[in-house]
Amino acid sequence: MALHDSVITAFAETEIVSRSERDVWELQAEVMEQLLASSGVEKDEVDGLVMASSMTGNATPFWAQSSAEMLGLEVDFCEQVHIGGCGPVGAVARAAMAIDAGLCETVLLINADTQVREDNMGVRSFLTEWANPYGLMGPPGAFGLLTSRYQHQYGLDYAALGKLAVTQRDHALLNDLACDKLRKPLTVEEYLQSRMISDPIRLLDCVRVCDGANGLLVTSRRRAVAKQVDRFVVPIGYAERTNYRARDPLPDVTDTGHRVVGATALRQAGLEPGDIKSFHPYDDFLLAILLQLEMFGFCEPGQGSRFIRETDFHFDGDLPLNTSGGQISAGQAGLAGGGTNLVEAVRQLFGQAGARQVADTSNALVTGIGWIGFARNWGTSAALVLTPDS
Amino acid sequence: MTSRHTPSGALSDTTDVPRHPVTATPFTQSYWDATRDRRLLVQYCADVDRYQYFALPTNLYTSHERAQWREAEPVGELFSYTITERAPRPFRGHEPYAVAVVTLDIGVRVMSNLIHCERPDIRIGMRLRGHWLPNPDGTNLLMFEPAESKSA
Repeated sequence: MALHDSVITAFAETEIVSRSERDVWELQAEVMEQLLASSGVEKDEVDGLVMASSMTGNATPFWAQSSAEMLGLEVDFCEQVHIGGCGPVGAVARAAMAIDAGLCETVLLINADTQVREDNMGVRSFLTEWANPYGLMGPPGAFGLLTSRYQHQYGLDYAALGKLAVTQRDHALLNDLACDKLRKPLTVEEYLQSRMISDPIRLLDCVRVCDGANGLLVTSRRRAVAKQVDRFVVPIGYAERTNYRARDPLPDVTDTGHRVVGATALRQAGLEPGDIKSFHPYDDFLLAILLQLEMFGFCEPGQGSRFIRETDFHFDGDLPLNTSGGQISAGQAGLAGGGTNLVEAVRQLFGQAGARQVADTSNALVTGIGWIGFARNWGTSAALVLTPDS
Repeated sequence: MTSRHTPSGALSDTTDVPRHPVTATPFTQSYWDATRDRRLLVQYCADVDRYQYFALPTNLYTSHERAQWREAEPVGELFSYTITERAPRPFRGHEPYAVAVVTLDIGVRVMSNLIHCERPDIRIGMRLRGHWLPNPDGTNLLMFEPAESKSA
């Protein structure tokens, strides 16, 4: 058995809001109800639950279990994915593994976070002794250091980052579920003029912290065929790497784990970067998109600015990118945010993206980024290649 | 290419920031104790002849040998930096200030503040040396200043 013997038969997403009026469990319930309604699966068929971590859920080590109780689910595989923002993407692999091992066959993947309404994030890391005494401004500060180094090594065209921001705003305008505060057109000039947070990171380089939830239903291909499911999406490549170059004290910080996970996932899928029809990179910062374009081999390292200038990333352009706006323009629903681009990729391959439907749905590449370690880039990198059933 | 946003303006040395006191953990205690005498201790692995930073509960490189504390000169060069314009507490009101990553000559990277330096004079690759900032509890915080600084 293999990764591609499990399939995605449904997707779900709540609206992403600047502050939820509802409890995080209500958002989970909405996702579950959408998944069951659109798939026709009954609650008592569900035998697996995989959840991303959650800032709200961080209040308890029993997050997935207590969520199962709230949702009325009885399962043979109950899992929380602990790779930060990679959680939603990593959940697909974990569900496939559990199905492959024969532990379960019908798995709900539910990611929900109300970080704005209820933030239970704690810090127990290197930050307390080795970064906070110097006033590092969180992730924007870390990306400020990374961007500064990238610029020194290669040069950086900030207007190219602005172009990514503008494109993703254009996509958010076509997405009714995107955070309404972000559904406004943007110009490159407005991006360049937005205020500095941690120079050279600007406000519009960063995500807006929001609340929201999303999910997928993953089952065995065998069961999907037996139930005569008329369409599904197949994972054909997956890889992740945590603490890339862990034991190198002097790494090139512009070299990220996506170099290795991209090579592995694409090889498993039998694809080259030039074969990718839509790209859905985890976008906590605009620079992360540029770095992933380089690391996946869409362009050479250091050539990201030029590649961005030369490429139309609209849904109807050269390389459709984050067609629902990405987290940058739909809003980052806390640790569920990694599911926004994943659900959009699935939606595209189902042919249900409406006004922003990409023309070529033969594959989609989704990525994850999770956690930020000390003075490098990020902790976990993930890559997932999807195709519609053939 | 649009250039980096570099307005002029004095950078805060952050000496007056009411920093949260740092609580050492058992495996970092030796580092903080040494700072009381303005000494930089860094863990070292003789097996691979490499240092490791920040202080870890284990040898970063190998499981066959324990890392040992060694004294090191706080000298090196600027690897990268960011100018904080919107600070976390307790640094609010002290913007702008520079957060830096410094590559020490011994081969590790350290995060710190770059002080005694004006914004237009910052260059990645510039030589830096340590400057100890007293903490209320008697430990010192390692900061960095340009190597040619005239300071006490």
